Amino acid sequence: MTRRFRVILLSIVTAMSVTGCGAAHAVLGIHGQPRANPSSVPLTLDQAKNILTRDFTAAQQGETTAGAAARAALRTAYTGEALRAANARVKLASVQPTGTVSPLLAPQQPRLLAVPRGFGFPRVILAQTVASEGPLPILYLLTSPDAATPYRISASATMLLATSLKPFDPLAKGSQLVIDGEGLVVAPAALLKAYAAGMAFPAKAVTNPPFTADVFSAQVRAKAASVAKGVAAQARFSQVHQVVPGSVYAVRQASGDAIVFGVIERTDSFAVKSGQAVNTAANKEFVLLTGRKRVTKSATITRLEFVVFAVPRSTGQATLVAASDPVVAGSGS
Amino acid sequence: MPAAVRRVLGVVVLVLGGALAIFGAWNAVSLGPSGEARFSVTSKDPGALVVQPDILNSVGVPVRITARRGDGGGVRLVVAPSTDARAILARSAVSTVSGVHFPAGTLDLRASGVGALTGISTADVWRLSAKDAGTAQLVVNQGRGPETAVVTSGDGTALRGVTMTLTWADSAWFFDALAVAVIGSIVAAFALGDLWNTRPQGGSPMHPRPRRGRVTT
Repeated sequence: MTRRFRVILLSIVTAMSVTGCGAAHAVLGIHGQPRANPSSVPLTLDQAKNILTRDFTAAQQGETTAGAAARAALRTAYTGEALRAANARVKLASVQPTGTVSPLLAPQQPRLLAVPRGFGFPRVILAQTVASEGPLPILYLLTSPDAATPYRISASATMLLATSLKPFDPLAKGSQLVIDGEGLVVAPAALLKAYAAGMAFPAKAVTNPPFTADVFSAQVRAKAASVAKGVAAQARFSQVHQVVPGSVYAVRQASGDAIVFGVIERTDSFAVKSGQAVNTAANKEFVLLTGRKRVTKSATITRLEFVVFAVPRSTGQATLVAASDPVVAGSGS
Repeated sequence: MPAAVRRVLGVVVLVLGGALAIFGAWNAVSLGPSGEARFSVTSKDPGALVVQPDILNSVGVPVRITARRGDGGGVRLVVAPSTDARAILARSAVSTVSGVHFPAGTLDLRASGVGALTGISTADVWRLSAKDAGTAQLVVNQGRGPETAVVTSGDGTALRGVTMTLTWADSAWFFDALAVAVIGSIVAAFALGDLWNTRPQGGSPMHPRPRRGRVTT
């Protein structure tokens, strides 16, 4: 074997050794890891449906049974202000008039409206159910604040008469969470703040409101005026509406508009006039919440106003499409 | 073409053909008719076992993951988008698959982090999930990557001595390897034939070829 031949042979063997792994990779089709698509849906349709089923089943269990297991079930189903409302609903179930109990008491299949898009947090799922005892659908917001925390119902509200929702993007595409109100006629946080201010009693004027007039706020204001008049001889009545921090979520719809969920805490305050004593026995909710049938100094009743707005993309005003205001707390002295 | 150059080329082609034939045959035998490549490892360190997308999503065919505990305890196997899995794993104690050896059929593990893994059972990020006593198994399809697979005990207890097996299977691989072996053999055979036909007719200086004598009468 000549020297030249040995050099050539050695070169070939070396080259084949070096490229051997590459050849194996080629035969097996090995490639680099795929790149993440930042606008993909982070959960499958089956996952989303399973989440809804789990939360709604737990909610039903929590509201129809008692004890530690029921409380745990409520914590599985709800979070934040919705959990506060559910706990109060369970506590007040015996004195609630028919029709105001949770629609979740009747088993039903919730309809998935929107699932999250992208891998950021928080993530939200929107769902809708139709109550078996009434014609009005109920909207649900489920939130997951981080990867380790499951989705739970954080708000729900009954749709108002003659309202509807524009469609969301297809579930396979996901719906974008709107941050800071970009691309909307009004920022969600500013909208909720203005709406809360507009319902105060004694009334405060809101100039150029970013929302249209609606039946819910009209009823709240009318009832506040009625209560104030009714107790005028014994107490001074005032009502404050405060947006609950961190409760506002906006989800983009296919048209570019958005659905905005928010929670407003409403506090009805009664300052009993000197020398007066108010008999509260007729208010069974108040008695259950406070244990008092008579107040001589002051009393408060707290409600949570779960509101849902349809907010246009570029022109016009936001429209209230759903609202519920369950009682959650009370105090008296 | 000069004879010397032709012979050198012949040798080059012979070596290439032979190498192809050996490589193809070796892969065909390793993969078997089902075209199955299987890799296993047993964890020594406590904590979850993790398969990152650089391995889980590195081949365009489904991968079957099997996790087996010798003590028959619970095994939970889950798969999630990598960003979500990373957030949950955080800095807890895990053993990550860091290398795959073919055809040895082994996996390398790299231990990292400290502390227990929390939130894995309550999180909603897992696209696939399987839980059973002793053995759990999942098939991860491609196309939704990058994804990460995590093996835990499923009940919060530390996991140790778990054997994890990753299996990729594609019958086309066997036939590809077989085709490579056949093509290499044919190329090598042609090269060998050419070398044989063009072999030098003269002997070496040390062993001179006997000259044919002329017969005279």
